[in-house]
Amino acid sequence: MENYEQSFNYENCLRNEELTKQGYEKKKQRKTGTTIAGIIFKDGVVLGADTRATEGYIVADGNCEKIHRISDYIYCCGAGTSADTENTTALISSKLELMRLTTGREPRVQNALTLLKQYLYHYHGYVSAALVLGGVDFKGPHLHMIHPHGSTSTLPFLTMGSGSLAAMAVFEAEYKTDLDEESAKNLVHKAITAGIFNDLGSGGNVDLCVMKFQNTQFFRNFDKPNKRKFSRINAYRFPKGTTQFLEEKVTLLRKNLVIENLDKNNNNNDNDNNDNNDNNDL
Amino acid sequence: MQLIQQSKQESLPKSKEINQPQFFPYTNNQGSCLGICGEKFAVLATDTRMSMGYSIVTRNATKYLKLTDKCVLVSSGMQADIETLHKILKARLTIYQNQHQKPMSTPAISHLLSRTLYYRRFFPLYTFNVLGGIDEDGKGCVFSYDAIGTLERVRYSASGSGSALIEPILDNQVGFKNRGDITDKTGFLEEDEVVELAKDTLTSTCERDIFTGDFVHIFVVNENGVREEKFELRFD
Amino acid sequence: METVELYNSQEQIVLDDLSEPVKTGTTIMAVQYKGGIVIGADSRTTSGALIVNRVTDKLTPVADKIFSLRSGSAADTQEIAAIVRYYLNILSTEQGKPPTVKMAANLFRQFCYVYKNYLLASIICAGYDETDGPSIYSIPLGGAIIKQPYAIGGSGSTYLYGYCDANFKEDMTKEECVSFVTNAVGLAIARDGSSGGIIRYAIIDSDGVERHTIYGDQVKNYFK
Repeated sequence: MENYEQSFNYENCLRNEELTKQGYEKKKQRKTGTTIAGIIFKDGVVLGADTRATEGYIVADGNCEKIHRISDYIYCCGAGTSADTENTTALISSKLELMRLTTGREPRVQNALTLLKQYLYHYHGYVSAALVLGGVDFKGPHLHMIHPHGSTSTLPFLTMGSGSLAAMAVFEAEYKTDLDEESAKNLVHKAITAGIFNDLGSGGNVDLCVMKFQNTQFFRNFDKPNKRKFSRINAYRFPKGTTQFLEEKVTLLRKNLVIENLDKNNNNNDNDNNDNNDNNDL
Repeated sequence: MQLIQQSKQESLPKSKEINQPQFFPYTNNQGSCLGICGEKFAVLATDTRMSMGYSIVTRNATKYLKLTDKCVLVSSGMQADIETLHKILKARLTIYQNQHQKPMSTPAISHLLSRTLYYRRFFPLYTFNVLGGIDEDGKGCVFSYDAIGTLERVRYSASGSGSALIEPILDNQVGFKNRGDITDKTGFLEEDEVVELAKDTLTSTCERDIFTGDFVHIFVVNENGVREEKFELRFD
Repeated sequence: METVELYNSQEQIVLDDLSEPVKTGTTIMAVQYKGGIVIGADSRTTSGALIVNRVTDKLTPVADKIFSLRSGSAADTQEIAAIVRYYLNILSTEQGKPPTVKMAANLFRQFCYVYKNYLLASIICAGYDETDGPSIYSIPLGGAIIKQPYAIGGSGSTYLYGYCDANFKEDMTKEECVSFVTNAVGLAIARDGSSGGIIRYAIIDSDGVERHTIYGDQVKNYFK
């Protein structure tokens, strides 16, 4: 057995319990609303996700990435607490990479599934990650969902998150076996869009990931249905001196200080729609 | 939102949790509204989304009431209570019109609203209102309320789920707070400027507040009467 | 001066369901007949009010001719079944012959008894082996083990006691047994809200396992 006790630090638990007893408000776990979905089509799997991350009722990030890479041919959508989904998938991703290096074989989807479910089961639902795992290995396309408590289901089409009902309604109405790639993409796109528009916890853009044997395409911001419709040009300009201050102290910089401009390296995914710099357009 | 819910009594140990049906008379259908007054006009705006929990009930809810040619009320909170409140006010204003052969002045309406809310002090109407228009002198006015009828005449106000996001922008742009560059802090903005600001503020609010969205009704109240405009927000 | 803020207790039903443990509010059933057993189950898995999976396979094999029928927490029962499957695999390799149902059932019992405070699992272990022939063990919540000629379990089973008392016979034929099981599960699906979907059943005898499915539209509607 793995010694999971080494992986988390619980030292504040007793203190917090004591504080709660004294009447301090208990820190509530925030759940993020999400729509994630996946389907199996003729030669692979399509995964989809919205891009809204919420903190309570406030949108914390309007264009976040919810489809995580596990390995080259296995991807995983995450709903629930975003820290949990990101770290869980990253942990299992690194385990599979080590396994790939020791065995010299591509990891299977089943492998990722077992590691994920055993990890989540170990934490009895306290690691609140609800995952849609998809991938294609030599045995064919695979699609699974994993609940925070560690139970799994294997289905040809599935959805999770607060928008799961809206997205599932689309799948239940229109899913067929052996769809071709284009209609599979469109169907997932439609399902995620249903989640985005009908569920308040979901929103922003549509991310898609199409996986075929030995071939993965990740479409970041496949569709942007929620562009900003109005903005004032040059409306908010504050001249120097707008912010008042009490005291001013000027220290000159050293003469030989070199300021390097580190150009942001754009991640060159094999993706046409990718524009990472467009973060303002939430 | 269900009105009858299973409530969990947290004070009891988990094994002895009692599930008891309880009546919850309130539900918040959320939404934001704002009011800004200028020298001789007032601008009021409210979004049209009505939601319950995480689902949208309608994208075209009516949360405003044109009370007179000089006065508009925008509300957020519980839709049922908003409608009740609007119905009561409309009736009271009709009676006033018939008795006095003239519409009620905006400051008078502001007090009427305050009284109507305080009348329900111990079972309040779950509404958060902003009232605005022009007063007897033709000056722009905005009144802000809480759910039980606190009344204050202000230069600008916001209420509802996105109020915490709207208020700081208005503080800076309309109230000229933290503005070292502006010496005359009692000045007013122009009408088209205020309309633009209201549109931009609500567009920005619905980027971050999940309960605000779909459309905005914007009302410009000036000496020519009430001008209404519908404006699109995002739908997600 | 203070303005009043109204407190509004509002719960997010769907979101709460998301964090709710996934349970199989179930109908499961295993019946012995002359020379074999028939096992059957509905296919609904729920999390609160949400149907997580409408075509679940609750007939989980742990050895070639031994099945576990799971009810309770999906996570717990899946995990236990996986561990038992692993143990039986080792055991059969060591012994050089397939495990008995008794062995499998006692492994289940072991986990359910030792970890009874942490688990929500009630399992029926049924199968066929060369030593005892067809046998059915029920392992209810506390971790007891009961050998029975037939066993029913899950939330839907409460609707079935009368039917089973009236209709169960020792040494039924295979066909009789199949219709007994499928009728019973159909009855439970009709009455129990947390059972539903399709009926999955399997016939296990000395020849092996034969699996069948009755789709939703073919499940008998007993109200008509």
